[in-house]
Amino acid sequence: MTIESRDVINLFENWILDADTKLNEMDLVKNIKTYLESQHPEICGKCTPCRDGVVRLERLLDKYVDGTATLDTLSELEQITYNLRASRCSVGLDIGKNMEVVLENNYHTLYKPVKKY
Amino acid sequence: MAKITINGTVVKVKNGTTILNAATNLGIRIPTLCFLEEINEIGFCRTCVVEVKGEQDLVSACNTEVKNGMVIETDSKKVIDSRSKTLQLLASRHRFDCWRCPKDGMCEFYDILKEYHILFEEFGPGIARGTDLIEGSGISMDQSKCILCKRCVAVCSEVVTANVLKFRDDDGMNPFVSPTIGLNFDQTGCIFCGQCVKVCPTGTLFETDHIGRVNEMIQDPNKLVIVQVAPSVKTAIGEDFGYDIGTPIKETEGKMFRALKLLGFDIITDVAWGADLTVLEEGTELINRIQNGGTLPLFTSCCPAWVRYAELYEPEYLENLSTTKSPHIAQGALIKHYYAPKYLNKKPKDVYVVSIMPCTAKKYEIDCEGHEVDDIRDVDAVITVRGLSKMIKRQGIDFKRLDDYVPVSPLAKFTGAGAIFGASGGVTEGALRTVSEILDKKPLEKFDFKVLRGAEFKATKGVIKETTITIGGHKLNVAVVHGGAAIKEMFTRIKSGKKKYHFVEFMACPGGCVNGGGMPIVRDMPMHEVVKLRSNALYNQDSQDLPLRKSHENPSVLKAYEEFLVKPNSEEAHKYCHTHFTQKEYRNE
Repeated sequence: MTIESRDVINLFENWILDADTKLNEMDLVKNIKTYLESQHPEICGKCTPCRDGVVRLERLLDKYVDGTATLDTLSELEQITYNLRASRCSVGLDIGKNMEVVLENNYHTLYKPVKKY
Repeated sequence: MAKITINGTVVKVKNGTTILNAATNLGIRIPTLCFLEEINEIGFCRTCVVEVKGEQDLVSACNTEVKNGMVIETDSKKVIDSRSKTLQLLASRHRFDCWRCPKDGMCEFYDILKEYHILFEEFGPGIARGTDLIEGSGISMDQSKCILCKRCVAVCSEVVTANVLKFRDDDGMNPFVSPTIGLNFDQTGCIFCGQCVKVCPTGTLFETDHIGRVNEMIQDPNKLVIVQVAPSVKTAIGEDFGYDIGTPIKETEGKMFRALKLLGFDIITDVAWGADLTVLEEGTELINRIQNGGTLPLFTSCCPAWVRYAELYEPEYLENLSTTKSPHIAQGALIKHYYAPKYLNKKPKDVYVVSIMPCTAKKYEIDCEGHEVDDIRDVDAVITVRGLSKMIKRQGIDFKRLDDYVPVSPLAKFTGAGAIFGASGGVTEGALRTVSEILDKKPLEKFDFKVLRGAEFKATKGVIKETTITIGGHKLNVAVVHGGAAIKEMFTRIKSGKKKYHFVEFMACPGGCVNGGGMPIVRDMPMHEVVKLRSNALYNQDSQDLPLRKSHENPSVLKAYEEFLVKPNSEEAHKYCHTHFTQKEYRNE
């Protein structure tokens, strides 16, 4: 964890405690990405869901930044998030749970920019 | 006892059992990828995850012990989805070139992807984790296929105890497995036993390929290609063509020789002949050392992986190693300098000797210093059992329908003592049969040294078998050691000086050559059972099929001494059949 990531961690705490903290789409994606990057030093690289899943999540969020996200992107985002429950230790499990909260509270924000057809 | 429910079935299992074992005993298969029983139970790959009622998260079945009252689901949607997703993630970092992969159809990763029906669109182009190809004379590593299961690392540290391959996770997001960074396998402490190649679930680790150069030589009309087949190859070659493990050697031997003939090898010989020769040389060395007070204990030098182990890690004991070359190298030298010029009218440089071996270390051995006579390498190429079956399949040969072929070369006639070299304890038994007859000066009545044969073993411990035999008034303490962990243990015993040993047989692979790194891969049977079946095939050949069972009775070996080598340990024998050992530098970091 680095000092820069503290803001993001605070934000996540707010999200978890208070479901009303809402962000617009771009800020949300940016913040999630910063949060995931802040977790890199914690990841030990031993189990698959966390080591490869987190990178994959970031690549999927990149698609939001590029504006190329589709419904598949969203559903894969969801699947990888829930797959983090298969992680070996609490680093992966925590990332997974935080991401679950994000999805729960902001699903509509992430759903809106997705290309449907 | 704990009472648990797996998929609705209530069972009682012992405390301390893992969920995986409990399910397997019930007949429920849980897929695994990184799991190796007792060696690698770390839960890295997460394909064995199961759902436990009351737990928020999925748990890995391979290293979670059962608790009383557990309710386990191994095939719920949550579990299946998670496994698929994990496999997709792994596949997204694996380079797929399956049709030309050295794993050749034995890839566990491929099979599990197939089983879970993972679609290519779901994981994208499969970008490799690393691009490095780390080379070595015995084994090589292609990092673009690694899925970080850590099996090779576990085997290298637990079974072989060389600690060459390491899991490097300084950067947790991009970990990788490699020997010392920046070095190839030859510069590290790798002994090339090939146990890592056997456990790798993908084609990341593979034996260095000699098939190309052999095919080139077969097609060259000016070269006479002579092949020599190791005894343990015959126990396993059938396994790749639908025969059971431990099929009697006489059923597949003739077919294999016919297949070799069809592949285009000019003359077929048998390494068991070289083994008979080795027994005479090594036995004479032992007698000399006992009678003239030489360095004891005498260590065997048949296993190149063990010889490299000694050169790297125990250099102060190099004096103890028997200077006799390993059987196939000695035989290669004699083929080139005695058999070919005398009987085939060929110059040594026109002869190309190929060994079929159960071993990857032999590939390293042929390029070693000292394994050449008059600047001509004794053996030019080594092909493993897996390599041979690949060649046979590639040539379109239907192995099962072949007729039997009996090689005519005098160097294909061998005795039982040479045949059992492939099993652990075989070298000692073969040597003792000869040594005791020479020292006792009377024919041996009972020559089955059962104490030296098979034993239940754990891969992580290896086996040390010790016995005391009285021969010619000398009490000889004999030991048979196989497996890396056992070699270490033996050296602490030797160094402690509590017991004086006279003859110690070392083999780097647990179980001996029959469990070598180049043997066919067996996935659904524990290692010790495979070893038992294959060694029994060798011992049965010795006791049932072969009329002669003592090396010094082999007429063609005796003829070679008459015509060429004069007598064991003579000057000529030293030139062609003996070598020397030097300490080697290595870096394991």
